[in-house]
Amino acid sequence: MVWGRMAWYWRIWNVLRPGRLQSDLERELSFHVRERAEELQAGGMSGEHAVRAARQAFGNYTAQVERTRDMDINDGLESLVRNLRQAMRGLGKTPAFTVTVILTLAIGIGANSAVFSAIDAVLLRASPFPNGDRLVKLGQVNPRNRDAFVAPPRLEDWNRLNRTFQAITGYYTEDESELSGELPEKLKRALIAPRFLQVWGIAPELGRDFSPQEEHFGGPNAVLITDRLCRRRFGGSANAIGKNLRINNISMPIVGVMPASFLFPDRDVDLWSPSPMDSPYSQSRETGWFTTFGRLKPGVTLEQARANLASVQANLGRQFPKTDARIGASVEPLKEATVAGVRQSLWILFGSVSLLLLIACTNIAALLLSRAAERQHEISVRFSLGASRSSVAAQLLTEVLALALAGAALGLAIAGEASRVFRALAKDLPRVEEIRLDSGIVLYSLACAIAATLLCGIFPAIRATRRNLAGSLAQAGRSQVSSRNPVQFTLVGVQVALAVMLLAGAGLLLRSFQELGRVSPGFDAEHVLTFHMNSSWAETGDQKGARQRLERVLDSLRSMPGVTAAAASMSLPGLPDQYQMELNTVEGRAETEPKMLAQSRAVSPTYFATMRIPLLAGDTCRDNLNTSGVMVNHSFANAYLAGRAAIGLHLAQPGSAFFPPGEIRGIVGDARESGMDREPPPTVYWCYSALQPGTYFLVRTQGDPKSMAETIRRKVHEIEPRRSVYDLTPLVDHISDSYAENRLRTILLAFFALTAVSLACVGLYGTLSYLVSVRQREVGLRLALGALRTQIVRQFLAQGLSVALLGCAAGLALTAVFGRLLSGMLYGVSAWDAATLGGVVAIVMAVSILASLLPAIRAARLEPMQVLREQ
Amino acid sequence: MGAKKNDILQGTLALLILRTLVAGKRMHGYAITAHIQRVSDQLLRVEEGSLYPALHRMEQQGWVRAEWGQTEKNREARFYSLTAKGRKQLMQEEESWTRLTEGVARVMRYA
Repeated sequence: MVWGRMAWYWRIWNVLRPGRLQSDLERELSFHVRERAEELQAGGMSGEHAVRAARQAFGNYTAQVERTRDMDINDGLESLVRNLRQAMRGLGKTPAFTVTVILTLAIGIGANSAVFSAIDAVLLRASPFPNGDRLVKLGQVNPRNRDAFVAPPRLEDWNRLNRTFQAITGYYTEDESELSGELPEKLKRALIAPRFLQVWGIAPELGRDFSPQEEHFGGPNAVLITDRLCRRRFGGSANAIGKNLRINNISMPIVGVMPASFLFPDRDVDLWSPSPMDSPYSQSRETGWFTTFGRLKPGVTLEQARANLASVQANLGRQFPKTDARIGASVEPLKEATVAGVRQSLWILFGSVSLLLLIACTNIAALLLSRAAERQHEISVRFSLGASRSSVAAQLLTEVLALALAGAALGLAIAGEASRVFRALAKDLPRVEEIRLDSGIVLYSLACAIAATLLCGIFPAIRATRRNLAGSLAQAGRSQVSSRNPVQFTLVGVQVALAVMLLAGAGLLLRSFQELGRVSPGFDAEHVLTFHMNSSWAETGDQKGARQRLERVLDSLRSMPGVTAAAASMSLPGLPDQYQMELNTVEGRAETEPKMLAQSRAVSPTYFATMRIPLLAGDTCRDNLNTSGVMVNHSFANAYLAGRAAIGLHLAQPGSAFFPPGEIRGIVGDARESGMDREPPPTVYWCYSALQPGTYFLVRTQGDPKSMAETIRRKVHEIEPRRSVYDLTPLVDHISDSYAENRLRTILLAFFALTAVSLACVGLYGTLSYLVSVRQREVGLRLALGALRTQIVRQFLAQGLSVALLGCAAGLALTAVFGRLLSGMLYGVSAWDAATLGGVVAIVMAVSILASLLPAIRAARLEPMQVLREQ
Repeated sequence: MGAKKNDILQGTLALLILRTLVAGKRMHGYAITAHIQRVSDQLLRVEEGSLYPALHRMEQQGWVRAEWGQTEKNREARFYSLTAKGRKQLMQEEESWTRLTEGVARVMRYA
């Protein structure tokens, strides 16, 4: 076995170092000759004679050396190396061709590998947790609203009663102020149910998990911190364990540091601490706040887990009919829950880069065809010298392989850079930090290169080696072009068609963006600064205090020069965010009326003035503890209360402890608060101005909101010295960030499309130039016989443009077929928007004219006499 | 080239080499030729032109292993010895050789 491998090794060595082999062989054979000569000498021959006789007996010495050497070299391997060497030589002679092909392939393969690396990291690779495929996201499904948060007792019941999960856990988050430094520092804390680390299957890097005592209400305080916080605060050393953090003025000892890769629930998290499930406030089954996860037992399928949890919940429904009867349980893979939003975008991008690669390959195939045609003579000579068709084809394919490998290597370098840019641009993409170039991507690029070789190379190789071409030797150099190169032009047409399709996709996305910008949102996002101030859920127990705190901050903000209004809201207007609930009027509605489904927003009464949402009827609500008021928007009043006096009615969410019934105080204008791309849905505003975690402050400024940021931070610090103020960002930036993925997709698609168009034009230009060069003689003749130069230009131009036109038509047909893939991503334009498609065709035709004009003019400039002399 | 009577039948050269090496001693090419000539009482003569390609092919197939060494006269030579695979190959070739010669002998007897 070992020997066999050695032999293989030596064989390769022999191929690579023929010189060495030769000399070893010669040493061996000359030894033989010398021995023979000595024997003959011993038999009485003279020295000189003996040597000659020995040589003679040996036969043709060089032939022997070669025959023996052949035995040592694996034939296929050597011919590959020979082909490669020949290919290098051939490619070196035509640097322009070589560079064009390598660059084209590098762009194709590079873009493809970069997008594939993103797909691989985000969609394909298993989640980074041990046995991540067994992690699932759970939720309680309530027909009345989309609130999936699970109530603590229910979470514990699910964990205790199921048979399909190893463990179930949950978390919620708060932003905290850490007070041991000079200024309060904002830290994001995840409050976690028991079994949290067990579900993830991750242990602390340093220190330990929480003890059962620490998970009990009234037990000792403890926090786990991120590697990042540990580095920032304690220089990353192990002596962080046992140190204290001052969270909201409570001293919390650090019991462990998590590995750097563990950033859950999101990459902003700084620390984790237990949320005791036996605390008095965790006993209600009515309100839930846990985002819930579970780890399936090995071998349990999703369906089994769903069925099991459903029956557990059904039993709970019988046990607690009031709270649990109408609640269901949802189970979905964690990965699905994380990446569902970007799946379509990524596949669309992948589709477009694959098209780009296809265009690149088609382009190269056309170039190779022209090259093969130029080499017709060389190939014919080889055939006539007895080369087999397969050996000539192998030679041609080797050339493409060399190009493809060089292209892939360069492409990998491009992909490395591209994925770095991608990471920076798509920083909000889930799992984006996992994007990297690893061996899988390298293998993928190699696979691309090989696929490209086959795609680009096979066809030209087959055509170039057609037997009947051997006959063309007789025609010598006097090439008469009989065919009009339909194959090359078909390839160019395909490129144009694909490029049109890509450009149409990019154009539609761009137009959607434009349309989105033109929409009147119904509120004024300019000159509004937003920020957070940390608070804890525990504080919301004292609603009065929480209201006063918020009011005090809002009042002092309003008193600042340069500030015209200030408000608080639980969600930012203009950002995709849905909180739909089912409502009823206390006064009752007829059974026949439609269900009252509405977006729900909690805002301070000053919100409407601050956001400049007009009041259409009634008054702005006032928030006070005893009676809570609500506002509804125009579409709500239209949809559900048409024909009734809306003002004065009471809205209630059945079964909700969070929103008590409220009286409708007024009707406001419709605003696209749930996202610019959505029609304003029926909306109910609960006038609620108590500080709670996640509350957004909205400050309308006279000047640039950014320039007010520091002043506002200092002002709030005066009133609330123990709280951290963070995330001071203009509202318009938030809104534009929320379209970052959309924008990235559009930019990338536009980039791919432009590359595709340039490739297609290079293809058209190259093919036409080639045509001109082979038809020089004909053109020369016609010019000599009196043809006008403009006729020549027109002829070649017409040829190029007819190909481009056919390509455009095919591209439009393709767009019609595949356009609906995009329809979910479009806003304000249909997938067959005539203006966009017309623009695309105009661009492509314009570039095609340029690409055809140059070779056409070159043809017309030929000097007839010179051409005829030369050919 | 017409067939001479001392030409070795095609395909039997490998068998002869394997048989020569089976004694276990490592030998260089010249010694192998000499051995075959001597043992066959000069009936068989190994063509140098066939010997070395055969040896190298056998080396590629892993039947023999080659290494450089010194002869008694302190000359550098390439020595060949049999591998386990070669031993197996020898058994097979011996068997088919026996079958062939028996078959040929029978035909000669009855034809």
